[in-house]
Amino acid sequence: MEERKPSWLLKVTVTVLFVFLLVPVLVIVPLSFSGENTLRFPPDSWSFRWYGELWSNDRMWGAFRTSLVIGAVVTVLTILIALPAAYVIVRLKVRGSELLYNLFTAPLLLPTIVIGLAILIIFASVGLLGTRLGIALGHLVLTLPYALRILATALNALAVTVEEAAASLGAKPLTVFRRITLPLIAPGLVSAGALSFLVSFDEVVVTLFLAGPEATTLPVEMFRHLESRSDPLIAAISVLLISLTLAVVLIVHRSIGFSTSFTR
Amino acid sequence: MAPTRHPAKPLNMTLAEADMRHGTGQEEPAAGGFLSLQGLGKRYQGFTAVHHLYLDVPRGELVALLGPSGCGKTTTLRMIAGLTPVSGGRVLVGGRDMTSEPPYRRDMGLVFQSYALFPHMTVERNVAFGLEMRRIGRAEVAERVKEAVAMVRLQGLEKRRPRELSGGQQQRVALARALVIQPSILLFDEPLSNLDAKLRDEMRTEIRDIQQRLGITAVFVTHDQAEALAMCDKVAVMNAGRLEQLGTPTELYERPANPFVASFVGRINRLPAMAMGTKAKVGERELRLTQPMEGNIEVMVRPHRIQLEPAGSAATESTNRVQGEIRRTTYVGDLIQYVVHVDGLNWSVEQPTSASATLSPIGAKVDLSWRVEDTLAFKSAG
Repeated sequence: MEERKPSWLLKVTVTVLFVFLLVPVLVIVPLSFSGENTLRFPPDSWSFRWYGELWSNDRMWGAFRTSLVIGAVVTVLTILIALPAAYVIVRLKVRGSELLYNLFTAPLLLPTIVIGLAILIIFASVGLLGTRLGIALGHLVLTLPYALRILATALNALAVTVEEAAASLGAKPLTVFRRITLPLIAPGLVSAGALSFLVSFDEVVVTLFLAGPEATTLPVEMFRHLESRSDPLIAAISVLLISLTLAVVLIVHRSIGFSTSFTR
Repeated sequence: MAPTRHPAKPLNMTLAEADMRHGTGQEEPAAGGFLSLQGLGKRYQGFTAVHHLYLDVPRGELVALLGPSGCGKTTTLRMIAGLTPVSGGRVLVGGRDMTSEPPYRRDMGLVFQSYALFPHMTVERNVAFGLEMRRIGRAEVAERVKEAVAMVRLQGLEKRRPRELSGGQQQRVALARALVIQPSILLFDEPLSNLDAKLRDEMRTEIRDIQQRLGITAVFVTHDQAEALAMCDKVAVMNAGRLEQLGTPTELYERPANPFVASFVGRINRLPAMAMGTKAKVGERELRLTQPMEGNIEVMVRPHRIQLEPAGSAATESTNRVQGEIRRTTYVGDLIQYVVHVDGLNWSVEQPTSASATLSPIGAKVDLSWRVEDTLAFKSAG
């Protein structure tokens, strides 16, 4: 294809957009090296002291570990539920599969705060408030729609005839799934998993309702910290979070290619 | 040596010969073909895709399912393969009832229009897949994959992925993948429709060659009548879920069973007439029929069976003739196509260029004559 030279107007627009989107995030990085006691930009002095504070802050590390564990559990559960669900909806086309799909993906449309409130009411009555399990189940409500969408799209993109050809060659349904379907939707699986992890890892709204002294996640802990103090510790944590997110995206990109993973 | 299960057989095996083979065959029943469809039907809600289809395919024959889109030919093929459940009837292979067997136990090779190769596997892995499913030893798999790849002339491309191959090469891989398992039956679902014209002709010959060399029983779904006539031992013409006629290409072309087959297989001219015994009246003229009929009929003649003669030539006992006026002439090298106005209808007439050295001018009054035995006649509908 012939590549067109972008006009100066396009260049300016793109630059402005980039600045608008990225500069606030990039400001966080120098802030984390501030030597001051408050979040002010630009800082008057520079130091690594807030990374040191972070290192010795057990509450933050505890919340970070909780977030990692919950993220991992949520990712595994999401795939275990969404994959069979997507298969039934797309491949078997059972009666009402359209309705199932819409039900599963409905949480995407609802305000998160409403979901959080609803879950709070239910969980309060069954004693799941303030537990890691409760938070994980709450996150599942949010991650399932994404995962189901990605996996349904991946399955739709895979021609049924490919699976039928495998069957005609003597492969039983489970073998077809393992040797043909699974490898071919692997990019979808990786991106569904990565997205689920990220959604769970940086979820605040629903988690605020469900977290308690025994179980709290890193974003909630950061939120609480900001309520009482505004020191650059938050900036240091943010840099850590940005790095982790970038790492996940890079891993996904390396294994399957960014464009095929998130845009499908 | 190519993988063979059935002994190679000579070209153009006739029905009688096939039946004789059945007599000496081991597991086949006395009647019917190696593949036998008995009252096969498929109903969807408020719509019947296939009505009580009976079809016998003798061992080693290539039979086409030919028809317009939506005629039920692909549904029939999918029911044979076990990919679509039947609503009624049975599928027998070598006398064994396959109707309720899942596709993976039917031992049939499938070649799809979309090739349906495994995109994450190399050519070699694609071809080996069916053998691995049969738990065949590694050495034998390698040997048979090599044979199959050689048979479809893809040597040197074993390590390529499907997306690195052209359409024709991909279809060859699909063919090798289906052949290597030495299936009892080979099923083709419009395998050539995605290829360009030149490649299509090439693959036609190649598929037919391999099918005959291996003596494999095959069903070939197509909407292209030229393909069906050129490749297949017999053609089953389907329309609206029903079998219209089963016959050899010659039978279909020369003795179509009904107007649908007559007009779907090859081109044809139609003329309404009134039949009285072996005579039919068209305006003032009288046509002779090959067999006695009564009432309103439709007379049909193939364009290239018609001779153009000067108007007023005398009729003979063995020919029919009607009058017309030339409306258009098209010279296409090996033949000249005329559009001739006959009784308010446009007929098409084709003359080889050697026979008519001069082009008849537009507006010329001509007689169209053809042999009585080339006259097809059908009762008018309604």
